[in-house]
Amino acid sequence: MALLDYFKPVVSMTAEDARVYMKGKNPDDYNLIDVRQPVEYERGHLAGARLIPVAELQNHLNEVDKAKPTIAY
Amino acid sequence: MQGGIRAWEGLTAEGPPEAGMAFFGDAAKPDELAMLAWMLEEGSRQFYVRLDAYLKDEDAKHLFQSLAKAEENHEKTIAELYKTFSGGSAIEEKLPAEKGEFMEGGIRLDEALLWARDKDLRAILEFAISLETNAYDLYIKMGRRFEGDARKVFSLLADEEKRHLERLAGLLEKKI
Repeated sequence: MALLDYFKPVVSMTAEDARVYMKGKNPDDYNLIDVRQPVEYERGHLAGARLIPVAELQNHLNEVDKAKPTIAY
Repeated sequence: MQGGIRAWEGLTAEGPPEAGMAFFGDAAKPDELAMLAWMLEEGSRQFYVRLDAYLKDEDAKHLFQSLAKAEENHEKTIAELYKTFSGGSAIEEKLPAEKGEFMEGGIRLDEALLWARDKDLRAILEFAISLETNAYDLYIKMGRRFEGDARKVFSLLADEEKRHLERLAGLLEKKI
Protein backbone atom coordinates (compact mmCIF):
# COMPACT_ATOMS: atom_id res chain seq x y z
CA MET A 1 0.00 0.00 0.00
CA ALA A 2 1.48 3.34 -1.01
CA LEU A 3 0.23 6.01 1.33
CA LEU A 4 0.08 8.74 -1.27
CA ASP A 5 -2.24 6.62 -3.45
CA TYR A 6 -5.04 7.74 -1.15
CA PHE A 7 -4.42 11.42 -1.71
CA LYS A 8 -5.05 13.67 -4.66
CA PRO A 9 -3.63 17.13 -5.28
CA VAL A 10 -5.85 20.02 -4.28
CA VAL A 11 -5.70 22.90 -6.72
CA SER A 12 -5.47 26.28 -4.98
CA MET A 13 -5.95 29.74 -6.40
CA THR A 14 -2.85 31.90 -6.32
CA ALA A 15 -3.09 35.32 -4.67
CA GLU A 16 -2.90 36.89 -8.13
CA ASP A 17 -5.72 34.67 -9.44
CA ALA A 18 -7.83 35.68 -6.43
CA ARG A 19 -7.06 39.36 -6.97
CA VAL A 20 -8.12 39.18 -10.64
CA TYR A 21 -11.21 37.13 -9.80
CA MET A 22 -12.42 39.51 -7.07
CA LYS A 23 -11.69 42.60 -9.13
CA GLY A 24 -14.05 41.39 -11.83
CA LYS A 25 -16.88 40.52 -9.44
CA ASN A 26 -19.26 42.14 -7.02
CA PRO A 27 -18.39 41.21 -3.38
CA ASP A 28 -21.85 39.65 -3.08
CA ASP A 29 -20.99 37.17 -5.85
CA TYR A 30 -18.64 35.09 -3.68
CA ASN A 31 -17.90 34.09 -0.09
CA LEU A 32 -14.60 35.43 1.22
CA ILE A 33 -13.59 33.70 4.43
CA ASP A 34 -10.67 34.43 6.72
CA VAL A 35 -9.90 31.20 8.60
CA ARG A 36 -7.15 32.64 10.77
CA GLN A 37 -7.41 33.58 14.43
CA PRO A 38 -9.38 36.66 15.64
CA VAL A 39 -6.19 38.52 16.63
CA GLU A 40 -4.77 38.06 13.14
CA TYR A 41 -8.04 39.19 11.58
CA GLU A 42 -8.13 42.31 13.74
CA ARG A 43 -4.62 43.22 12.65
CA GLY A 44 -5.65 43.20 9.03
CA HIS A 45 -7.80 41.28 6.60
CA LEU A 46 -8.98 41.41 3.01
CA ALA A 47 -11.85 43.83 2.44
CA GLY A 48 -15.18 42.13 2.99
CA ALA A 49 -13.69 38.96 4.45
CA ARG A 50 -15.70 37.20 7.09
CA LEU A 51 -13.90 35.68 10.06
CA ILE A 52 -14.54 32.00 10.71
CA PRO A 53 -11.49 30.49 12.47
CA VAL A 54 -10.63 27.10 11.02
CA ALA A 55 -11.52 25.19 14.19
CA GLU A 56 -15.05 26.65 14.02
CA LEU A 57 -15.68 26.10 10.32
CA GLN A 58 -17.63 22.89 10.72
CA ASN A 59 -20.13 24.63 13.02
CA HIS A 60 -20.65 27.55 10.66
CA LEU A 61 -20.96 25.83 7.30
CA ASN A 62 -24.69 26.61 7.14
CA GLU A 63 -23.80 30.30 7.18
CA VAL A 64 -21.76 29.98 3.99
CA ASP A 65 -23.82 30.35 0.80
CA LYS A 66 -23.15 27.09 -1.08
CA ALA A 67 -24.50 28.57 -4.30
CA LYS A 68 -21.53 30.95 -4.49
CA PRO A 69 -17.83 30.24 -4.97
CA THR A 70 -15.84 30.44 -1.74
CA ILE A 71 -12.35 31.85 -1.35
CA ALA A 72 -10.64 31.00 1.95
CA TYR A 73 -7.31 32.16 3.27
CA MET B 1 -5.91 30.84 -1.61
CA GLN B 2 -2.35 29.59 -1.92
CA GLY B 3 0.09 31.23 0.51
CA GLY B 4 -2.69 32.99 2.48
CA ILE B 5 -2.60 36.66 3.34
CA ARG B 6 1.20 36.84 3.13
CA ALA B 7 1.07 35.96 -0.55
CA TRP B 8 -1.70 38.53 -1.01
CA GLU B 9 0.51 41.19 0.54
CA GLY B 10 3.28 40.24 -1.85
CA LEU B 11 5.49 38.68 0.79
CA THR B 12 7.51 35.83 -0.60
CA ALA B 13 9.00 34.55 2.65
CA GLU B 14 9.68 30.85 2.54
CA GLY B 15 6.44 29.21 3.60
CA PRO B 16 5.93 25.85 5.22
CA PRO B 17 5.57 22.71 3.13
CA GLU B 18 1.96 23.13 1.98
CA ALA B 19 -0.55 20.36 2.38
CA GLY B 20 -1.29 20.25 -1.32
CA MET B 21 -3.02 16.90 -1.13
CA ALA B 22 -6.33 15.80 0.34
CA PHE B 23 -7.72 12.40 1.23
CA PHE B 24 -9.84 10.79 -1.49
CA GLY B 25 -9.66 7.15 -0.52
CA ASP B 26 -13.27 6.38 -1.34
CA ALA B 27 -12.44 3.00 -2.80
CA ALA B 28 -10.15 1.95 0.04
CA LYS B 29 -11.03 -1.04 2.20
CA PRO B 30 -11.67 -0.48 5.93
CA ASP B 31 -8.40 -2.08 7.04
CA GLU B 32 -6.48 0.07 4.52
CA LEU B 33 -8.14 3.20 5.90
CA ALA B 34 -7.19 2.26 9.45
CA MET B 35 -3.59 1.62 8.37
CA LEU B 36 -3.46 4.92 6.52
CA ALA B 37 -4.75 6.74 9.61
CA TRP B 38 -2.20 4.99 11.81
CA MET B 39 0.68 5.93 9.49
CA LEU B 40 -0.35 9.58 9.37
CA GLU B 41 -0.67 9.66 13.16
CA GLU B 42 2.85 8.25 13.39
CA GLY B 43 4.18 10.93 11.04
CA SER B 44 2.56 13.68 13.11
CA ARG B 45 3.71 12.12 16.39
CA GLN B 46 7.30 12.00 15.20
CA PHE B 47 7.08 15.60 14.00
CA TYR B 48 5.84 16.78 17.40
CA VAL B 49 8.45 14.74 19.29
CA ARG B 50 11.36 15.96 17.16
CA LEU B 51 10.10 19.54 17.13
CA ASP B 52 10.93 19.75 20.82
CA ALA B 53 14.63 20.22 19.99
CA TYR B 54 13.83 23.40 18.02
CA LEU B 55 11.56 25.02 20.61
CA LYS B 56 12.52 27.32 23.45
CA ASP B 57 9.07 28.43 24.56
CA GLU B 58 7.95 26.32 27.54
CA ASP B 59 4.23 26.59 26.74
CA ALA B 60 4.90 25.36 23.22
CA LYS B 61 7.14 22.53 24.41
CA HIS B 62 4.46 21.40 26.81
CA LEU B 63 1.72 21.57 24.18
CA PHE B 64 3.66 19.64 21.54
CA GLN B 65 4.68 16.96 24.05
CA SER B 66 1.04 16.60 25.00
CA LEU B 67 0.00 16.39 21.34
CA ALA B 68 2.65 13.72 20.68
CA LYS B 69 1.20 11.67 23.54
CA ALA B 70 -2.30 12.17 22.16
CA GLU B 71 -1.22 10.93 18.71
CA GLU B 72 0.27 7.86 20.38
CA ASN B 73 -3.09 7.20 22.01
CA HIS B 74 -4.79 7.62 18.65
CA GLU B 75 -2.46 4.98 17.23
CA LYS B 76 -3.59 2.55 19.94
CA THR B 77 -7.25 3.28 19.19
CA ILE B 78 -6.68 2.81 15.47
CA ALA B 79 -4.71 -0.42 16.06
CA GLU B 80 -7.77 -1.83 17.86
CA LEU B 81 -10.00 -0.77 14.98
CA TYR B 82 -7.60 -2.40 12.50
CA LYS B 83 -7.89 -5.67 14.43
CA THR B 84 -11.67 -5.54 14.03
CA PHE B 85 -11.44 -4.78 10.32
CA SER B 86 -8.76 -7.36 9.53
CA GLY B 87 -10.12 -10.28 11.50
CA GLY B 88 -7.62 -10.06 14.35
CA SER B 89 -4.33 -9.08 12.69
CA ALA B 90 -1.96 -6.77 14.56
CA ILE B 91 -1.34 -3.58 12.63
CA GLU B 92 2.34 -3.52 13.64
CA GLU B 93 2.92 -6.68 11.61
CA LYS B 94 1.43 -5.23 8.44
CA LEU B 95 2.88 -1.74 8.33
CA PRO B 96 4.81 -0.87 5.16
CA ALA B 97 8.33 0.55 5.22
CA GLU B 98 7.11 4.09 4.64
CA LYS B 99 5.36 4.25 8.03
CA GLY B 100 5.98 7.60 9.67
CA GLU B 101 7.51 9.18 6.58
CA PHE B 102 4.43 11.24 5.78
CA MET B 103 2.09 13.46 7.71
CA GLU B 104 -1.40 14.76 7.05
CA GLY B 105 -1.90 16.31 3.63
CA GLY B 106 0.85 14.15 2.14
CA ILE B 107 3.63 16.26 3.62
CA ARG B 108 6.96 14.50 4.06
CA LEU B 109 8.17 14.40 7.67
CA ASP B 110 11.81 15.06 6.75
CA GLU B 111 10.88 18.13 4.68
CA ALA B 112 8.73 19.53 7.49
CA LEU B 113 11.51 19.05 10.05
CA LEU B 114 14.04 20.69 7.77
CA TRP B 115 11.70 23.63 7.24
CA ALA B 116 10.91 23.99 10.97
CA ARG B 117 14.56 24.05 12.07
CA ASP B 118 14.98 27.83 11.88
CA LYS B 119 11.39 29.02 12.06
CA ASP B 120 9.79 31.12 14.78
CA LEU B 121 7.04 29.83 17.03
CA ARG B 122 4.29 31.58 15.11
CA ALA B 123 5.24 29.88 11.83
CA ILE B 124 5.50 26.49 13.54
CA LEU B 125 2.12 26.89 15.24
CA GLU B 126 0.49 27.93 11.96
CA PHE B 127 1.96 24.86 10.30
CA ALA B 128 0.77 22.58 13.11
CA ILE B 129 -2.71 24.11 12.78
CA SER B 130 -2.71 23.16 9.09
CA LEU B 131 -1.69 19.60 10.03
CA GLU B 132 -4.43 19.22 12.62
CA THR B 133 -6.98 20.74 10.23
CA ASN B 134 -6.10 18.04 7.73
CA ALA B 135 -6.38 15.35 10.41
CA TYR B 136 -9.79 16.67 11.42
CA ASP B 137 -10.91 16.65 7.78
CA LEU B 138 -9.55 13.12 7.27
CA TYR B 139 -11.48 11.63 10.21
CA ILE B 140 -14.71 13.39 9.27
CA LYS B 141 -14.40 11.88 5.78
CA MET B 142 -13.44 8.44 7.07
CA GLY B 143 -16.29 8.47 9.57
CA ARG B 144 -18.79 9.02 6.77
CA ARG B 145 -17.73 5.69 5.27
CA PHE B 146 -18.98 3.67 8.23
CA GLU B 147 -21.89 2.97 10.51
CA GLY B 148 -21.92 1.69 14.09
CA ASP B 149 -18.79 1.39 16.22
CA ALA B 150 -16.30 2.31 13.49
CA ARG B 151 -18.19 5.53 12.83
CA LYS B 152 -18.11 6.33 16.54
CA VAL B 153 -14.35 5.75 16.67
CA PHE B 154 -13.65 8.05 13.72
CA SER B 155 -16.04 10.62 15.13
CA LEU B 156 -14.19 10.51 18.45
CA LEU B 157 -10.85 10.91 16.66
CA ALA B 158 -12.25 13.87 14.68
CA ASP B 159 -13.42 15.53 17.92
CA GLU B 160 -10.00 15.07 19.47
CA GLU B 161 -8.22 16.51 16.42
CA LYS B 162 -10.56 19.49 16.65
CA ARG B 163 -9.56 19.98 20.27
CA HIS B 164 -5.88 19.84 19.26
CA LEU B 165 -6.66 22.47 16.68
CA GLU B 166 -8.28 24.66 19.31
CA ARG B 167 -5.33 24.26 21.69
CA LEU B 168 -2.86 25.22 18.96
CA ALA B 169 -5.02 28.17 17.91
CA GLY B 170 -5.27 29.25 21.55
CA LEU B 171 -1.50 29.23 21.95
CA LEU B 172 -1.07 31.10 18.68
CA GLU B 173 -3.47 33.80 19.90
CA LYS B 174 -1.54 34.03 23.17
CA LYS B 175 1.88 34.30 21.54
CA ILE B 176 1.29 36.67 18.63
